[in-house]
Amino acid sequence: SRLLLLLVVSNLLLCQGVVSTPVCPSGAGNCQVSLRDLFDRAVMVSHYIHNLSSEMFNEFDKRYAQGKGFITMALNSCHTSSLPTPEDKEQAQQTHHEVLMNLILGLLRSWNDPLYHLVTEVRGMKGAPDAILSRAIEIEEENKRLLEGMEMIFGQVLPGAKETEPYPVWSGLPSLQTKDEDARHSAFYNLLHCLRRDSSKIDTYLKLLNCRIIYNNNC
Amino acid sequence: QSPPGKPKIIKCRSPGKETFTCWWEPGADGGLPTNYTLTYHKEGETLTHECPDYKTGGPNTCYFNKKHTSIWKLYVITVNAINQMGVSSSDPLYVDVTYIVEPEPPANLTLELKHPEDRKPYLWIKWFPPTLTDVKSGWFMIQYEIRLKPEKATDWEIHFAAKQTQLKIFSLYPGQKYLVQVRCKPDHGYWSEWSPESSIQIPNDFPVKDTTMWIFVAVLSAVICLIMVWAVALKGYSMMTCILPPVPGPKIKGFDIHLLEKGKSEELLRALESQDFPPTSDCEDLLMEFIEVDDSEDQQLMPRPSKEHMEQGVKPMHMDPDSDSGRGSCDSPSLFSEKCDEPQAHPFKFHTPEGPEKLENPETNLTYRQATQSTSREGKIPYFHANGPKSSTWPFPQPPSLHNPRYSYHNIADVCELALGMAGTTATLLDQTDQHALKPSKTIETGGEEKAAKQRESEGCSSKPDQDTAWPLPQDKTPLISAKPLEYVEIHKVSQDGVLALFPKQNEKVGAPETSKEYSKVSRVTDSNILVLVPDPQAQNLTLLEEPAKEAPPALP
Repeated sequence: SRLLLLLVVSNLLLCQGVVSTPVCPSGAGNCQVSLRDLFDRAVMVSHYIHNLSSEMFNEFDKRYAQGKGFITMALNSCHTSSLPTPEDKEQAQQTHHEVLMNLILGLLRSWNDPLYHLVTEVRGMKGAPDAILSRAIEIEEENKRLLEGMEMIFGQVLPGAKETEPYPVWSGLPSLQTKDEDARHSAFYNLLHCLRRDSSKIDTYLKLLNCRIIYNNNC
Repeated sequence: QSPPGKPKIIKCRSPGKETFTCWWEPGADGGLPTNYTLTYHKEGETLTHECPDYKTGGPNTCYFNKKHTSIWKLYVITVNAINQMGVSSSDPLYVDVTYIVEPEPPANLTLELKHPEDRKPYLWIKWFPPTLTDVKSGWFMIQYEIRLKPEKATDWEIHFAAKQTQLKIFSLYPGQKYLVQVRCKPDHGYWSEWSPESSIQIPNDFPVKDTTMWIFVAVLSAVICLIMVWAVALKGYSMMTCILPPVPGPKIKGFDIHLLEKGKSEELLRALESQDFPPTSDCEDLLMEFIEVDDSEDQQLMPRPSKEHMEQGVKPMHMDPDSDSGRGSCDSPSLFSEKCDEPQAHPFKFHTPEGPEKLENPETNLTYRQATQSTSREGKIPYFHANGPKSSTWPFPQPPSLHNPRYSYHNIADVCELALGMAGTTATLLDQTDQHALKPSKTIETGGEEKAAKQRESEGCSSKPDQDTAWPLPQDKTPLISAKPLEYVEIHKVSQDGVLALFPKQNEKVGAPETSKEYSKVSRVTDSNILVLVPDPQAQNLTLLEEPAKEAPPALP
């Protein structure tokens, strides 16, 4: 009877922890969600993340970057530029699923760490508008979710394929924490600029893959 | 003549994320012919390039074709104005093609009116995706928006169409000419311009809504409403009484509430006393009454002047100073017939002072019973006393909650009724009273004879008093002088002839009274309507009458 009670209690606790019931719990091998549903969901999340990133960038630009010329410093500042990404439609269409999906996974993983620090540092930034902070927190959440979904898609589209090479590591934390306010703002500007771009990449590639795989190039 | 003024780049736009065009605004030309060039370099490259195409986009534009367009890369673009005197360069513009997407308007907007059978007619709007957008491969994702209005209206009606390339409009006004436009937007980018207007004329006989059905519904609901209103109006009162039954107000029968309004207690009490309070029943309605009569030592009811206080255990006697005042006739047997017709005239009171013996009767049934089976027409209800079980005589039901005197107020007529109807109504009355008070009397008269007996007796009451059923009252009136203690007199039996045999109440004695002093003679009536009884000197008569009476007691359990 004690064991039963323990079982019941543990079940209740587990149930409490679930915020949104996933269609399939991650890692479950025998659960088959349709690929179409996975892609639909992934496209939705990536679209959402890109919207949030754009809004966050525009907010920051409006508040901190006017007349400062931060954009000149933003050239070649993204840590993910080492990842070979197709830059136009033809190139993207000629890239294989696997490459594209590995690309997406690499981008998602490489942003885990910067997003975490972004939230921490924006919180510490004096006078940071809530619009920026709330979006940063939201993006961090959604990024994790999208990564999970991508891993599931990868498992279904390319079963047995080897997963990605090591992803680029971000090392911009010191510049986020520098005492010079202008330098710090510039660092934030760069980070948000790169986030906007990379979220656009992920979104574009996913939509491309969706139309290619699910709809057979007939969206 | 001077070097050219500084040109300015207005904007750059990409229609499909595959090419893009930039527009610039020339500055002052300085009076000399000026050439404009556009130079750029891309993020991550060091080389500077010049605009590949100045023509396609029109004057002062630069068109970048697919080969020269890269997304997710910043372009740093500069426009230079050159004339003989010098060069002037614009501020560089940093452009990422990803974020400058503005599609062309949708193409081939077509309008068509459709009239399907069994369904409502509609306007079918169709269009095609804008040029230069690759939707099929998923590179470009579009959402559409339609707006339409009657030609002369000012406000547009906007409909969002998401990703579909057609729309059905149902709400149209017949006889109007409609203008329709469509535009689109990429998933991340700017809205396109509105397409050129397409127009269509809605014919006059265009059935917009299925109004006949609504008319039918409206008429039906109006009819139903009318029916309901009519039903409520007719039955409203009965429904209301069913739902909310009226609360009966307190009412003392025979009591004029206007006396309360005046607020004079004297008048009030007088009214209470004089007007059948407690109310008595009508001659015809009264079936049975019990009288409990006070027995004084000198066989007279003693009057006492006090009226106000009703003390417990003490019952004042009401002295009638003028014993002859209008009541002489009451003593005569002939009175009864008259009085039967005038129950209101001089009601008599029988005092039933509450002696100590009575107080020792806690089990006495104190509940008030309604003597008459049916409420009298005039609303007079007699009060009754219920005696304890000790009495072998007629039990007297006692009115409730009155500590002190329980007055039985009866008409002479009621007494007549009492005499006549007592036997008949005993059973009915007693059925209503408490069991242990009833036992002695129940067996007196039973069931079916009741009503017949009553009928007879009531007839006898109203008939001439010359018969033997008349009350054997003394013809002369003996005024009461001496005050004597009150004693209880009990009605032992009413004989079949209607003679009321009265006995003094026995103190705590059950069983047939042994010493029987019979009070069957009304000596007089006091001014406060007290019937003064005296023992009948003609005891022999009573003994004769007693025999049937004595038969009864053995029958009494």
